[in-house]
Amino acid sequence: MFDPISATSQVGAASSAADGQGVTLRGASLAAPGDAAPDFGAFLAQLASNTADTLKAGEATALAGVRGQASTQQVVDAVMSAEQTLQSAIAIRDKVVTAFLELSRMSI
Amino acid sequence: MFDPLQIALKVSASGLEAQSKRLRVVAENLANAQSTATTPGGDPYTRKVVTFESEVDEAAGASMVKIGGVERYQSPFRLEYSPGHPAADASGYVKLPNVDMMTEVADMHEANRSYEANIQVIKQAREMIAMTIDLLRSN
Repeated sequence: MFDPISATSQVGAASSAADGQGVTLRGASLAAPGDAAPDFGAFLAQLASNTADTLKAGEATALAGVRGQASTQQVVDAVMSAEQTLQSAIAIRDKVVTAFLELSRMSI
Repeated sequence: MFDPLQIALKVSASGLEAQSKRLRVVAENLANAQSTATTPGGDPYTRKVVTFESEVDEAAGASMVKIGGVERYQSPFRLEYSPGHPAADASGYVKLPNVDMMTEVADMHEANRSYEANIQVIKQAREMIAMTIDLLRSN
């Protein structure tokens, strides 16, 4: 299960059905043992670090462009892909946080 | 790289690069349209032309474009009778570059059109990516 949100719901179902263990987001592996599902925190961390890497690459290319070592197209390309990664990271984060809040508002 | 839209961006970027190199060569030709030889009777600047080649990018699995080479254009030089010119040969003729302004300007316009087309593809791909990401936002 790759999607942490779906994994979370599975964990919730599994724990409520069986032994009443706390519904924790970190317990995604409970639902599918052996399946290397990333937990919520790791997922966000990886998303952030990937985004940071792309942004750094964009900045480096922009600097190289100012120094005259990269063409205009390369600079625009790098900055555009950085912007795109940032946009999608923000959209995914917003969605995930919304889902998380939705989950926390669930009546128990 | 799996995303076809990202690959489209990459392919168009290679098109942009190829067309800018082509424009660079046109600029060289136009700038050197009157460059004569430095020695009497020697050959002047020779018009350069670029050739385009298709190149398969292994990572993306798509055909990029690249400049195959910048070659000298094979056509006779223009001759001008100017006995006092430093580059004139024994009979008083100076060899002038085989650069035709009209051809160069036409080439320049073609490079411009091709560049525009690639830019449009990039714009379109970006718009499609943005639309898809916006799916996450609209609720």
